[in-house]
Amino acid sequence: MISSSNYLIPSKIFGLIVSLSIIFFGIESSYSILFFLFIMLTIGIPHGSIDHLIAFINPKTRRFQNKFYFFVAYISLIFFNILLWIVSPYLGLFVFLIISCYHFGETQVLGYTTTDNKFLNFVLGANILLSLFLNNIFELQEILYSFSFFSNIDLSSFDKIFFLLLSISVLMISIIYSDVERKVLLYAEMSIIYLIFFHTDLLTSFSLFFGFSHSLPMLLIEFNEMKENNFIKFYIKTLPFTFLSILFGIIIYYFNSDLLTTDNLILFIFIIISSLTLPHVFIMKDFIQNK
Amino acid sequence: MFNFILGASLQPGDFTGFTFFIGSVSMLAATVFFLVQHGQVDKKFKDSMLVAALITGIAAVHYYYMRDQWAAGLGSPTELRYIDWVLTVPLMVVEFALLTGVGMRKLFWASVVMLVTGYFGESGVTGMLDAQSWGAIAGLAYFWMAYEVGCLTIFGGPSGEVGNALAKADGKIPAAGRMLQWFVLVGWSIYPLGYMLGTDGWYSGALAGLPLNMDIVYNIGDAINKIGFGMAVWSAAK
Repeated sequence: MISSSNYLIPSKIFGLIVSLSIIFFGIESSYSILFFLFIMLTIGIPHGSIDHLIAFINPKTRRFQNKFYFFVAYISLIFFNILLWIVSPYLGLFVFLIISCYHFGETQVLGYTTTDNKFLNFVLGANILLSLFLNNIFELQEILYSFSFFSNIDLSSFDKIFFLLLSISVLMISIIYSDVERKVLLYAEMSIIYLIFFHTDLLTSFSLFFGFSHSLPMLLIEFNEMKENNFIKFYIKTLPFTFLSILFGIIIYYFNSDLLTTDNLILFIFIIISSLTLPHVFIMKDFIQNK
Repeated sequence: MFNFILGASLQPGDFTGFTFFIGSVSMLAATVFFLVQHGQVDKKFKDSMLVAALITGIAAVHYYYMRDQWAAGLGSPTELRYIDWVLTVPLMVVEFALLTGVGMRKLFWASVVMLVTGYFGESGVTGMLDAQSWGAIAGLAYFWMAYEVGCLTIFGGPSGEVGNALAKADGKIPAAGRMLQWFVLVGWSIYPLGYMLGTDGWYSGALAGLPLNMDIVYNIGDAINKIGFGMAVWSAAK
């Protein structure tokens, strides 16, 4: 199990302070897109921008003979995912949710138990996403308006507490039947995450969780594994592929031609993120298994 | 922003608003205290102290919101209270599991049933059963929990697994457990009472003639229950 004290706790406490500041000072939701972009550009994308380096750290889990094969597989997966969104947005969304559940759950259990139980990883990740969506469900319906099956469901008779209660109940039931070494602390941390999901809008909720509960701890663990002496030097190594990812997003947006969504920037950004996430999940699975 | 701590927006003589203010700052102070004590206690109690700090910390956030809502003249903040309870009640029951190492499954199930059916009764969202029936189910879950943690032993009654483990534990845990049992039995009784007095179709309006505001009862009760709960755990740990 990865030592939680070195990497996980400081970044999560920092995230908690940022979250409480946002809640207390009532930062307007109109800033949430800026906050989201800031977190994605500074922490979110960089934590996956050195996949080409960490994929070769551990010989036991190495899947690629050399970097050429790595990049071919990596880029193919990205384009496969975009193709999936074009051919069937429902299937694209479904694949994104499934891999995100596993990926978020796998990193969430770090410090509380081992990552060996794949089902547990998936269930906890599903809990997090379920809570994120349930606690911001009316907003989500607006963003996913093109998915008429979901956006047409009438939820107006339910208030927000119902969805919080639902997500907390699902969490409690999941925790008591799961094999976790430090159940109570895991439950306690996830309660705080759910509190933040409830009190902030969808984009801010996702940014806070993705930035400080997921990306920053992973970035710090990657920094440690790469045995760099200086964090700045390590961070500079993430920049080339961060810029390439941004460029990739801009090009896709420019040549969009109605293949993806043209009038919903948030959904478009999520499609790009999902495409970058798909290959990243496989690399991180090996990287974490290594610990 | 400057009235964040001082609550300057409260009107002079607003006693109910003052209890919201006292609620928020006392919970905040208790959080700091429990976090400081977290570093002082034995390793086996560290998780308990952290959870105690989280309970009061979550409550401090919501009391801050409640005070603002009250000061803005938006009435009784029932919704915020529910959010607070939904998050903190399960954390309070796991304190028993942390002290004894048993019973987490039963206590979590009891709290799920109590919270969900309580909400169904108060909101009427299901369209099935009336407030009394949902309240009765929530009450049964509460008494199941009270039995499990050994509250009935105060009067020489039977006890569940957690209560038995508390009684047989080492050191100061049995004494702290007894305090926690009193909190569950007496302190927590204000919540079902508030439910019965505040839900339509039950005893709503029964206190209309009395100079009693349920917000004041809840504010004082919450502060005693949540901070007291943590203090009881701390007394076992110090």
